[in-house]
Amino acid sequence: MSISHLSPNSSALEEGAPAMEGSFVSAVQLTKQFGEHKAVNDVSLDVAKGEVISIIGPSGAGKSSLIRCLNLLEVPSSGRLRIGDATVDFDTGTPSKASVRNLRNYTGMVFQSFNLFPHFTALKNVTLPQMRVHRRSKAEAEERAMQELKRVGLESKAGAYPAQCSGGQQQRIAIARALAMDPQLMLFDEPTSGLDPEIGAEILQVMRKLASDNMTMLVVTHEMEFARHVSNQVAVMVEGSIIEQGPPEQIMTAPNNIRTQKFLSAVLGR
Amino acid sequence: MNDFAWLYDWPQYIPDLLPGLWVAIAMTCVSCLFGYVLGFFLALLVEAPSKLVSYSALVVVELGRGIPILVLLFLFYQGLPQLGVLLAPYPAAVAALTFSAAGYSSEMIRAGLGAVPKGQSEAANSLSMSVVDTYRFIVIPQAARISIPPLVNLTIIIFQATSLATVITVPEIMQQAGIIGSATFEYMSVYTAAAVLYLCITIPGAALSGYLEERMGTPKQRSKKQAIKALLPAAGKLRTAEERQLTN
Amino acid sequence: MFEIFAYIARGAGWTIVMTFGSAAIGIVLGLPLLVLAESKFALIRGIYNSIVHVIRGVPTLVWLFISFFGVGQLGITLSPVTASLLTLSIIATAYMSEIYRGGMKAIPAGQWEAAGALNLDRWSTLRFVIGPQLFRAVSPSVATQIIGLLKDSALVSTIGVADLVFRAGIMTQYHAHGLYMFGIAGAVYLLLSLPIAVFSRTVHTRITRRYAVA
Repeated sequence: MSISHLSPNSSALEEGAPAMEGSFVSAVQLTKQFGEHKAVNDVSLDVAKGEVISIIGPSGAGKSSLIRCLNLLEVPSSGRLRIGDATVDFDTGTPSKASVRNLRNYTGMVFQSFNLFPHFTALKNVTLPQMRVHRRSKAEAEERAMQELKRVGLESKAGAYPAQCSGGQQQRIAIARALAMDPQLMLFDEPTSGLDPEIGAEILQVMRKLASDNMTMLVVTHEMEFARHVSNQVAVMVEGSIIEQGPPEQIMTAPNNIRTQKFLSAVLGR
Repeated sequence: MNDFAWLYDWPQYIPDLLPGLWVAIAMTCVSCLFGYVLGFFLALLVEAPSKLVSYSALVVVELGRGIPILVLLFLFYQGLPQLGVLLAPYPAAVAALTFSAAGYSSEMIRAGLGAVPKGQSEAANSLSMSVVDTYRFIVIPQAARISIPPLVNLTIIIFQATSLATVITVPEIMQQAGIIGSATFEYMSVYTAAAVLYLCITIPGAALSGYLEERMGTPKQRSKKQAIKALLPAAGKLRTAEERQLTN
Repeated sequence: MFEIFAYIARGAGWTIVMTFGSAAIGIVLGLPLLVLAESKFALIRGIYNSIVHVIRGVPTLVWLFISFFGVGQLGITLSPVTASLLTLSIIATAYMSEIYRGGMKAIPAGQWEAAGALNLDRWSTLRFVIGPQLFRAVSPSVATQIIGLLKDSALVSTIGVADLVFRAGIMTQYHAHGLYMFGIAGAVYLLLSLPIAVFSRTVHTRITRRYAVA
């Protein structure tokens, strides 16, 4: 059970209460079960337009599973999900292809392992999905791709293949690829975990910029600095559930939940 | 004649073909034994510092791998007499299969030897182990992990290739089948029986090689299933906790 | 002497037809089989697996004799050429689909996920993301398989297709000197496998050079 502090009527939010009108994303009682194991256990989450929420917690807590449930890379076993005008109810069986497509239209995803297409140049990585999904012309797609590559500071790498780019550059290209699809919600799945800290910093810089451009973002991260200074909300996930959610200052300095305190003292070393 | 009789009457020919199966198995064992030993030495020679030795060994390997086994059979059986060497069908067939097995196996063994990090033999050297001991105790056991699964596979291929020896009248399965077939005209039944006999060896053989590959092979890239499993560290921890309890 | 060489070398015609005919059929038909191999129904995968195991577990010579002598006995007489091409094609198809299946395993799950997250439809994912990477992954194995088919094609001589081995056999019967005759045949096989190996290596380095993943 989680409560969004931005919500005007958060007091009305009780166990399993319907999502608020004002939210852009509303996940209700999502559960993802792998066999006996509940990777995501009855998680409800609301995200307002322009909000940046960091999801933190120990590894194996289901953070990645949760974020993958939001664009249906994992199909939740039960619960409901709404992003914008797209709604999916998982209690009534597997979602149709059309509803998956609808929902994914709202989201862009950045993976820990970049997942660039190795046989395409940076430019083609960014143009091809635009042309195939949004039916943009080549010229249109390329113009947009160059804009996005510029936004992540890599217009000079347009002609390079992923293998010719450093990990940090690959991740920035992956961000450009996602942005070119006009997502209204960006999902980041530990985008800096595979990178050296100083390289990770350049990714965080790009994300900071995105946040200041009012992009709605959900970020699974181990970067406490980012969680603290960039996000509006921090959600703490332990064993498949969000145990605490609130403004970063409050979570970081005065967490209510004992398990949050434990986790923070472990990662912050205090 | 009943067109579908072969579907059920093939088992009656199995006993007549069994002697051929023993011949095929014997040929496989002998050829692979000699072939793999030869292949091992060819692998060492290919890696020899002398260019002359290395290239000559490579030529032998490529001849063994590149010439169809059927042609090798004819070369040993009908070709060698030209040099005054007359081989009976059985030795000729074994010679051809050995030559082929040596060529293929040497590449597999070389891949295995090449996969052992240089530091291993350097470490053995620094402990002043002899060259033979270094190979015997350090290099070969590690190379075997890489080489054995493909060698098991090759053994199955050589077993299948014994069928070709029928062209030089070695009394293996296909020779027996041909004799029965031309006498009874029940080709379909006889060859079906022959196919089943081969499967009796090749199917378990393939299963063994698959099992060895899984056990000994290098970890492959994550498949979709493994990726999902990897998402379940908590489940993994649970399992190890259980195991810990069991062992305690 | 030259006439003998020319007579044997002309057998390369059938050898090439058999090799590349069956390879082409296998390369094409192996793809739809992949759908069975990767089916979500265990039963279909099981049927696929048993068929492939049986095809690969029985020596080529046995299949050749079954389709020539065996099927002939059932009243469907296939010419040696038809029986050979049919047999080699079926075997090639089984091998190619297994190669494709291996290639699919080499493509990281993240590629499917990225395509899914970008909302690419199934066809675009296969055509633009998976297909090219599959092609890159399998091209060396496919070339090796074609060379394997080249060597397997020698078997068609046993049912009377006038390929290299068949002609070398005839010359040996006329003139003895089996070492020369089969030596010529063997040399032509080596010569034929050379361009396949070289071609495959160029294709592979060309497609790998730029985006080789370390």
